[in-house]
Amino acid sequence: MNINLLIWRNLKKNIKNYYLYVFALAFSSSLYFAFVTLQFDPALDEASGTVKGAAAIRAASVLLIVIVAVFLLFANNLFIKRRGQEIGLFQLIGMTKGQIFRLLTVENFLLYFGSLMIGIFLGFLSSRFVLMILFKLISIDELAELQFSSQALVQTLIVFAVIYLLIMANNLFFIHRQSILSLFKVKATTEGTVKRVTVVEIVIGILGLCFIATGYYVSSQLFSGDFTSVNELFLAMIFILGSVIIGTYLFFRGSITFIGNVIRKGKGGYLNITDVLSLSSIMFRMKSNALLLTVITTVSALAIGLLSLSYIQFYSAEKSAFERVQADFSTNSEKEANMLTEAFTDHNIAYTEETMEIVVATFNMADMIHLSVDPESAGVDVQKMESTVVSDKDVDGLDVKPNEVFFTGWPAMYDPIMDVNENSSIVMHTTANEYKLDLVGLNDEPIIPFYFTFGGSPTAVVDDTVYKQLQNALNDDLQTIFKDQGNRFYKINLENQDDLVRANDLYDTLDFERNTWSLQLEFQGVKEFIGLTLFITGFLGLTFLITSGCIIYFKQMDEGEEEKNGYTILRKLGYTQNDLLKGICVKQFFTFGIPLILSLFHSYFAVKSGWFFFGTEMMTPTIIVMVIYTVLFSIFGLLAVLHYKKVIKEAL
Amino acid sequence: MNILEAHKIHKTYGSRGNKQEVLKGLDLQIKQGEFVSIMGASGSGKTTLLNILSTIDHLSSGSISIEGKEMTKMKERQLAEFRKHYLGFIFQDYNLLDTLTVKENILLPLSIKKVSKNEANKRFSDIASELGIEDLANKYPSEISGGQKQRTSAARAFIHEPSIIFADEPTGALDSKSASDLLNKLTRLNETRKSTIVMVTHDPVAASYCSRVIFIKDGQIYTQLNKGDEKRQDFFKDIMKTQAILGGVQNEH
Ligand SMILES: Nc1ncnc2c1ncn2[C@@H]1O[C@H](COP(=O)(O)OP(=O)(O)OP(=O)(O)O)[C@@H](O)[C@H]1O
Ligand SMILES: [Mg+2]
Repeated sequence: MNINLLIWRNLKKNIKNYYLYVFALAFSSSLYFAFVTLQFDPALDEASGTVKGAAAIRAASVLLIVIVAVFLLFANNLFIKRRGQEIGLFQLIGMTKGQIFRLLTVENFLLYFGSLMIGIFLGFLSSRFVLMILFKLISIDELAELQFSSQALVQTLIVFAVIYLLIMANNLFFIHRQSILSLFKVKATTEGTVKRVTVVEIVIGILGLCFIATGYYVSSQLFSGDFTSVNELFLAMIFILGSVIIGTYLFFRGSITFIGNVIRKGKGGYLNITDVLSLSSIMFRMKSNALLLTVITTVSALAIGLLSLSYIQFYSAEKSAFERVQADFSTNSEKEANMLTEAFTDHNIAYTEETMEIVVATFNMADMIHLSVDPESAGVDVQKMESTVVSDKDVDGLDVKPNEVFFTGWPAMYDPIMDVNENSSIVMHTTANEYKLDLVGLNDEPIIPFYFTFGGSPTAVVDDTVYKQLQNALNDDLQTIFKDQGNRFYKINLENQDDLVRANDLYDTLDFERNTWSLQLEFQGVKEFIGLTLFITGFLGLTFLITSGCIIYFKQMDEGEEEKNGYTILRKLGYTQNDLLKGICVKQFFTFGIPLILSLFHSYFAVKSGWFFFGTEMMTPTIIVMVIYTVLFSIFGLLAVLHYKKVIKEAL
Repeated sequence: MNILEAHKIHKTYGSRGNKQEVLKGLDLQIKQGEFVSIMGASGSGKTTLLNILSTIDHLSSGSISIEGKEMTKMKERQLAEFRKHYLGFIFQDYNLLDTLTVKENILLPLSIKKVSKNEANKRFSDIASELGIEDLANKYPSEISGGQKQRTSAARAFIHEPSIIFADEPTGALDSKSASDLLNKLTRLNETRKSTIVMVTHDPVAASYCSRVIFIKDGQIYTQLNKGDEKRQDFFKDIMKTQAILGGVQNEH
C-alpha cells in the first residue's frame, strides 16, 4: 500500500474522530478573523480613533492569539493521544517515525487548512454582525457595512500557519518520545488512573484552601490604605494573583481528592451507583486535570472580572454622566445660562431653570470619622476638612433642622479607608462663629455637578437659616473656583424630553466660553469609550468562555470514551441507563461546577477590591454578568451530559 | 419446576453482508436449584448463550422465560431491574470497575437493596474470607492478579444472594486450589440457598461439580450428561469421553 493511499484512507476514517478538532479550528479561526477584520475596518477607525481604542484592540488581538493557540494545542493533544494505538500499529508494521510524522503532517494539513477556510468564511459572515453590536454599544448610527479585508486574511493566515507549525512540533515531540509499547498504553498512562490518597495530598489540600483564603483577604485590604505607594500596591496585586492561582492549583490537586476521600471513607466501601460515577471518577481525574482546571478557572475568573468591571462602568455611565451634569444642561455662568434659555425660548422649547448656591466651609469631623489609615499618608486632617455646603431649600425632599447636617454624594471610595459614626456631630467653622451640627444621615447621590466636587467629595446640606449665616461669614480663601462663578450654578431641564435632540443641536451651535455641560453629550462621550471597552472585554470574555467550556467538554468526551467499559459492566449488572445518567449528571455538576464556582468567587473578590474606580453600582451589574456567564457555561455541561447519554446507550 | 426455559433461540451476528449464525434454534430448560454447566469448543457460542439467557444480549428469535416471566417481551428498563435484583454474574473477563476498590466493587450490588451497612460489612467479610481475598479489600483492580480479579468478580456475584448465578469460566484464571475453593463455594450456595447456577467451562473437573452438563456444537445442543447418583470421579470420566467425541481429540486430563 503506498503512503498516499494510506493518508487518504486515514483521513476518511478519522474524519469522524476529528469533527471536534475541525469545530475547534473553525470556531477559533472565525473568531480571530472576525476580530481582525474589525481591526482593519475603516468604520472602526472613527470609533477607536476618537477614544484611543486602537491600542486596546491590538492588545486584545494578541491575547486572542494566545488563547487560540493554547486551545488548539490542547485539542490536538487530545486527538493525537486518541490515535496512539494507530501510530503504534504503523510502527509495528515497519514504518519509521519520520514516515509517520509525514503522514500525520499531510493529513493534518488538509484538515487544518480546510477548517481554516471554513472558519474564515464564517468569520467574514459574522464580523458584520459583530460590528453591528459594537455600533449599538457605542451608539453610532451607522450601517454596519463590511468589505472583505485582504489585510485581515493575510494576518489570519500567518497567525494560523504559525500555530500549525507549533502543533506539528508538538506532534513530532510526541511521536519521538514514545516507544511502540507505550503508544499502545497511552490512554492508560496519561490519566495516571488509580493512585492512593496520601498524607501529602491532605496537606496539599489544606494548603490550597489557605492560599486562596489569604489571597482573598489581601484583596479585601488592597485599597484600604495599607498599601500606599504604587510599588506596594503592585506587589500586593502580584501576591494576590500568585496566592490565588497557586491555591487554585493545590485545591484541584489535593483538596478535592481529600474531601472526596473523607466522604468515601465514611461510606466504608458501600458506594451507590451515583457515588461510583461521580465521586470515584472525579476524585482521580481532578488530580491529573489539576493544571488544566487551574488555567480554566483563572481564565474564567479573569473573564468574569473584566466583564463585571466594564459592565459596572457601562451600567454606571448614565448615572455618572448625570452626576457630572445634574440636569439636562447645567452651567456655572449666568451669561451662558441666559444664552441657552434665550435660544430655547426662540425655538419654542419649554424648560425650567433652577439656580443653586454653593459655598465651601471647613469642618471638624473628628467625632464623625474614624480613619482606618494613617492620616499623614492619606493627607487628611479630620479636624479641618473642607466641604461644599448647600442649603436644604435647594434640595428636594430634604429638610434638616438648624442643628443638623446631612451629607450627599458620599463616595463608595471612602468606605475602605474610613468608618463613619452615624450618631455623632461635627463642627462647622465660619469666620464669625462655630456651629455644632448633629449628623442625621448620608447618601451616595451627589447633588452638585462634578466640576464643583473636588473630584468626587461629599456635600453637606444644612438648614437655610444656618446657610444664610454662613454666607455672611464666608472664609474667602476657601471659595477658589466657586468665587468667580458667583458661588452658584444653573440647572436647566427640558419640560419635554422629546425636545432633547433639538435642544442639543442648539447647544452645539452656541459658542460657550465657560463651563456649560449637556447631559446628553456628556453621556454620549462616556458611552463611546466605555462601549468600546465593554465590546472588547465582551468579545474576549466570550472567547474565554467558549474555549474553556469546549476544553472541559472535550475532556469529558475523552473520559466518557475511557469509562465506557465501566458503563458496560454496570449495565450488565442491571443498572438502567437512567441510573447511570443520574450519576453522570452529578459528575458534570461537579466537573463544570467546581471550576465555575471557584472562578465566580475569585472574580467576586477581585471586583470587590477595586470596583469603585469604575462606577457607582457594584452588585447589579456584577450579578448580571455572573448569571449570564453561568448560564452560558452550563450549556457545555448540558452538552456533555447529552454526549454521555449517547455513550451510555451504546455501552451495551 | 423450571426456573428458566429457552425455546428455539436463534442468534445471528453481523449485518446483511456477512451474517454468522451462532445459535441455531436451541432449546433449554433449567430447573430451580440446578447446577448446570455448559461446555463446547472455543467459539461455539457458549458466552453468547449465557449472555442471551441472562438478558444481557438480545436474541434474534425465539423466547426465554425466567420464573415464568417472558423475558423477550420485557422493556429494557424492566430487564435491567430484573438483572439487578435476581441475577448474579461472574464474567469471563472479570468486568471490575477500575476506579473502585475490591471491597467497593463487591458491595456494589448491595447498594440497591436496603441492606444496612453492618450487614453489608458482615456479608463482605464472610464471602471474602471464603474466597481468600479479605486482605485485598482496599486494593484497586489494577493492583491485583487475574485470579484475584476472578474471585472478586465471583464475590460480587454472590453478595446479594441472587436466585440465578451465571458464571462464564469462573475458574479460567485460577490454580487448582483456588478453583476448587470457588467451586465448593458455588456448590454450597447451590445446596444451602438453593441458588440456580449456570456455568460455562472448558475444564472437565469444574464441570464435574455440576448436576448436569450440556454440550453445545454448531449452535445446537449436542448432548447432555446427568450426574444422577454417580460419584464425581465417574462423572468426570463421562465428561471426558463426551468431550473427546465432541472435539474429535483426546483431552489430556
Ligand atoms: N459481538 C459479536 N459480533 C460478532 N460476532 C461475535 C460477537 N460475539 C461473538 N461473536 C462470534 O460468535 C461466536 C461465538 O462466540 P462466543 O463468545 O459465544 O464463543 P465461546 O463459546 O464463548 O468461546 P470461548 O470458549 O473462546 O469463550 C464466535 O465465532 C464469535 O466470533
Ligand atoms: Mg466465552
